[in-house]
Amino acid sequence: MSARDDILATLGTAAPPSGAADALLADPVRPAVAGDLVATFFTALELPASGATHDRIADLADLPRAVAAYLDGHGLARAVYLPPDPRLTANGAADWSGFTLSPAIAPNEPTVLAVARLGIAETGSLVFETGPSAPMLPNFLGLHHIVVLPVAAVVAHLEDAALPGEQPRAHYWVTGVSGTTDIEGQYIRGAHGPRFLHVILVGED
Amino acid sequence: MSATAFTKRADAALADPILKVAIERTASTAETKRGIAVKGFAHFEEARTRAAAIKDHVVEHLGFYLEQFEAAATAAGAQVHWARTADEACSIVIDICKAAGAKTVARSKSMMGEEIGLPHALAEAGIGRIETDLAEHIIQLADERPSHIVWPAMHKTSEQVSALFKQHHLEPHAEETIPAMAESARRHLRDGMLAADVGISGANFLVAESGAVCTVTNEGNAELSLVPPRIHIVTAGIEKLVPSMGHAVQLLRLLARSATGATLTQYTTFYTGPKRAADADGPDVMHIVLIDNGRSAMRAEGLAEMLRCIRCGACMNHCVVFRQIGGHAYGGTYPGPMGAVLTPALDGLAKNRDLPNACTLNGKCQEVCPVKIPLPTLLRGWRERSWREGLEPVSVRQGITAWAWVAQRPRLYRAAVRAAIFGMRRFGRGWIRTLPMAGGWTAHRDLPAPAAESFMARYAKGER
Repeated sequence: MSARDDILATLGTAAPPSGAADALLADPVRPAVAGDLVATFFTALELPASGATHDRIADLADLPRAVAAYLDGHGLARAVYLPPDPRLTANGAADWSGFTLSPAIAPNEPTVLAVARLGIAETGSLVFETGPSAPMLPNFLGLHHIVVLPVAAVVAHLEDAALPGEQPRAHYWVTGVSGTTDIEGQYIRGAHGPRFLHVILVGED
Repeated sequence: MSATAFTKRADAALADPILKVAIERTASTAETKRGIAVKGFAHFEEARTRAAAIKDHVVEHLGFYLEQFEAAATAAGAQVHWARTADEACSIVIDICKAAGAKTVARSKSMMGEEIGLPHALAEAGIGRIETDLAEHIIQLADERPSHIVWPAMHKTSEQVSALFKQHHLEPHAEETIPAMAESARRHLRDGMLAADVGISGANFLVAESGAVCTVTNEGNAELSLVPPRIHIVTAGIEKLVPSMGHAVQLLRLLARSATGATLTQYTTFYTGPKRAADADGPDVMHIVLIDNGRSAMRAEGLAEMLRCIRCGACMNHCVVFRQIGGHAYGGTYPGPMGAVLTPALDGLAKNRDLPNACTLNGKCQEVCPVKIPLPTLLRGWRERSWREGLEPVSVRQGITAWAWVAQRPRLYRAAVRAAIFGMRRFGRGWIRTLPMAGGWTAHRDLPAPAAESFMARYAKGER
């Protein structure tokens, strides 16, 4: 017998009673998220464990100015990696003159921009999916991770992040920066990837 | 009693003053942070009950969910393999690497990889291995095994890590600080990680509904190891299944809080199949190896509750024995209370009968377990089985048999107690510094001398 048949024969493959799995999803036990979602999201985002900063702009036309302000604040050159996302790069979307835009991600890219699909108020997490205009690697390579998030995309709970239907190669949640406590339990930011996370919320409540 | 391999390792650990300092630095921080996280989640207790119910449901219907997962993962373009044993699992991984002509693999920390001996199998096959988790990198340089399932290098002090990095890194840290050491590892690991042919990970959860494999890391090293290479291989225990992402979410809330005290791990990723044709990045091929290695037997032999384990490490962080002897003394892949239950199941009771005895039964592990595994009960089960199978040494068997014979005869027992009190009090009043046949105790600490009369004697005199 194949390993597969052996294992399944030992375990049996009878289906659970209908509705048993769904019953375990009903009324999920989770921290309450009350009040203003955006305010709660920012509170979670700025907890020491996450340690992110944020800014708000009215629309994407303001994005280059907000990015420039962040870079200036950190004494960084006006150079960023932009993913091939039409919302960032289409003609007329945002004017990046004055910036050096990296055509491809470099191993030691200082600053990376990305657009998140959702923000989660419960944990301050940012939700991303891979796709033709959304590479994954840059979000784990850059030292400064600047994430653009539409204000309407802030949801309450982790359960709200599930994507119905066909799944992308990767669906991932970023909660803060790359950190480690592997040497004597001391928390260090920027273990492999981003050491700084900056969220730019776009739009009015 | 003759010294066993375990008692020798434990003795060596107890005699190592640096080891205890290293363990305390990390474990006490973890204990404090978990405590704060639990207080911050009002319904933590209910969440534990729900999490245990989710795992029990999956373990009971494991075969069904495995088939569902296989179908969904295959539909998403992944190749699913099955392995009964550690050797079968390693062969599958090595064959994939060889067929692809892989020279180096980037590995994201996985206890399943350790359990099946993958680092060794890769070395035998001549395939270079880059451990990308900082702690795994440290122990790879030291040529050691993990001593904790969340902090594999818990047994190393920063001074020891510094020496290793200075010996092995091309551009080591100049400043003797922990941030500078972490920076040195970041510099050293980056290029190798990006150039690897294969990325290998474990799985924290396997989602039956979608065929997704979920990994969690705080460093982001899983993602850096699994996106650039052209092949992604997952080695996962069959008990990692959950019906849907919603079930995984409920377990994730407990996993992060119990392990590090965070509300969620920094990076939580669900991988479903290889890259899609038009995707900007990702591997061309994804293989998933589903590994039994004793789990179906555990379910059949009264250890189903152990299959709830989500590998958070809270039980060991709170264990008085682990905090004294560290992870290596346990001898297996998994240390601490969960390891003392798992290792006899994975590696045989005869070789590991000391592990269930290396426990005070104080119940702390069960109290902090996010999925309410009755660890003390399972440990007692191993003790009873060891007795039934005659694995205890003759001296222990005879001693306990003699004690039981006396204990069943109250008058004789009380006479023996009187004699023992008389004898012991000749060696000290208050505290006894040395006592014949009790050197194992008095070598390290004084023994409290018994009261002049036993409880039963005073009770008989009418004292209340």
